[in-house]
Amino acid sequence: MDQRDTKGGDFTGTSLLKLTFKVEGADPGEFITYDQSKCNSCGACSLVCSANLWAVKDKAKLSPRYQELCLECAACYAVCENDAIAFRYPNGGAGIIIKHG
Amino acid sequence: MAKYDIAISGGGPGGAYAAKTAAELGLRVVFFERARKSGEKNASGCGLGQRWWRDFPFIMDEIVELDSYREIHFCYFKITDSDDRLVTTISTAKTPKDDRRIQHKDHGYGMTGTSIYRSDLDPLLANLACNAGAELRTSTLITDVIKEKGRVCGLVTEKGEKIEADVVIGADGAHSLVAIASGIRKRWNKDQITLVPQLDFSCNEQRMDDVIGPAELVWFGPYCGAYQVNFRDGFHLGLGQWLDKWDTRPLDMVKRILKIPAFQAMCRSVDAELREYQVHLLPWMPHPGKSYGDGVLLVGDAGGFPCPLEGEGIWHACLTGRMAAETAAEAIAAGDVSEKALSAYERKWKQSAVGREYEFGQEYVNLWKNSAFDPEFMKKMVLFLGEVQSLNFPSPVFDWSDDHMKTFNDHLGHLLDLLPELSDFANHNIVPLGKGISTENRERIAGMISGSIKKKLPRIIPQRVIRSVVGRFLGLA
Repeated sequence: MDQRDTKGGDFTGTSLLKLTFKVEGADPGEFITYDQSKCNSCGACSLVCSANLWAVKDKAKLSPRYQELCLECAACYAVCENDAIAFRYPNGGAGIIIKHG
Repeated sequence: MAKYDIAISGGGPGGAYAAKTAAELGLRVVFFERARKSGEKNASGCGLGQRWWRDFPFIMDEIVELDSYREIHFCYFKITDSDDRLVTTISTAKTPKDDRRIQHKDHGYGMTGTSIYRSDLDPLLANLACNAGAELRTSTLITDVIKEKGRVCGLVTEKGEKIEADVVIGADGAHSLVAIASGIRKRWNKDQITLVPQLDFSCNEQRMDDVIGPAELVWFGPYCGAYQVNFRDGFHLGLGQWLDKWDTRPLDMVKRILKIPAFQAMCRSVDAELREYQVHLLPWMPHPGKSYGDGVLLVGDAGGFPCPLEGEGIWHACLTGRMAAETAAEAIAAGDVSEKALSAYERKWKQSAVGREYEFGQEYVNLWKNSAFDPEFMKKMVLFLGEVQSLNFPSPVFDWSDDHMKTFNDHLGHLLDLLPELSDFANHNIVPLGKGISTENRERIAGMISGSIKKKLPRIIPQRVIRSVVGRFLGLA
């Protein structure tokens, strides 16, 4: 990593999404499911997702890589007014690791 | 099918403390953690108040030995303006009344708190529960509850295994499956829950000791206020916003803090390196939700217990975990685990130190919602705080831009200009807190005011009349 990214106090250029950790080789399962027919295209899921996993053009669409990128906050589920999104946490022992929480 | 007295979903502080308490009461108890070990999926919240020494002194003896422990005496508020310039630093004070505060092993802890990583703390609490005889099952996600005739009587794991129990305790965090599946509540409303992005930095321990010392920082300006929790050799930078209020991406909000020059200087001074990015949901509401049902109790974040003023949740989780386990034990002994019998839990926590905090829950939440989370208001607030500090000792001594009384009057005039703009906020958010002032303190204030008025009024008005009028204004009988 470039010296400026980690030293000198300026972290505005650091790619934060690279600083997350996952259990290797464990299957998280399909822990986010959604029903596009219920989506009213409000875009709230996309706005609150800290990992930028939702795109809303006509209807909400979840990144196919969500199992490896999701930070498991469940904000998309909590914010959806039409109950279009279901969230149930990854399988036990899989998913994100909080190293220094 | 396995059968327990109590089955708990969640291996964080609330679940571990409920399990420890139940095991110590001689009950057969199991608690489930979805991560490979407790603390691996924690929801942060890593500052422990000084009341830990009063309520959990023997756990504190172990916590001070943990790797990330930092003792905290102060909190410095770094106030910055729209152009990211540092306006002032406002500090908490160490009370001279140590003898009135919390004592443990002949040591007065005064204003001292503690910072500790949850990844350190949670395994310690889980171990205490296991040593007391509770069974911990890790890497196990709870996906449903067992219900019979409306009563919750067990948990179902992701593999379909059924765990029967007389009482189920939901300690499964903000997004509590137990709460929702058992029908106690639906998911939290958007104005009851905050989204909290957080960055973790490593830093040089010696420099942290020398430059920042035993202190937390808060970055406060025309953006969401951000907290900086300092550990032995690292720190967290986090901020939060209610889900119905986010109008920008959480990542952009965090980066807003990273570009403040004073923040960057602080990072340089402690050799900071950015090492982790996390996001959590944190219930932040005036009062907890309903915390009991037929055969089931909710503790910690699952019940909505974090403090409505500073958002701490670990102490609340441990105490509600203890009270839930005690209530469950009494109900099991009496052979009645109905919703009515378990409602004793709510009476118990409402009468405890946990419950007393919510007497002003609405006022505390309003205080934040209408200030730190409103950028336009914060622009005025920054100017106000700057002027208050420039009138506060020793600032007037060191404003030598002109003769001292002139500079003093310049600052005072500016402050008086600002006051009308803040009076609505004060009337709606500060004045209602006045009813929390104790009768003893009101009487002392009334005595001082009536004493000073008496000197300026003709002798014919008796002191008791003045005292009665002043007392009425201060809400005294």
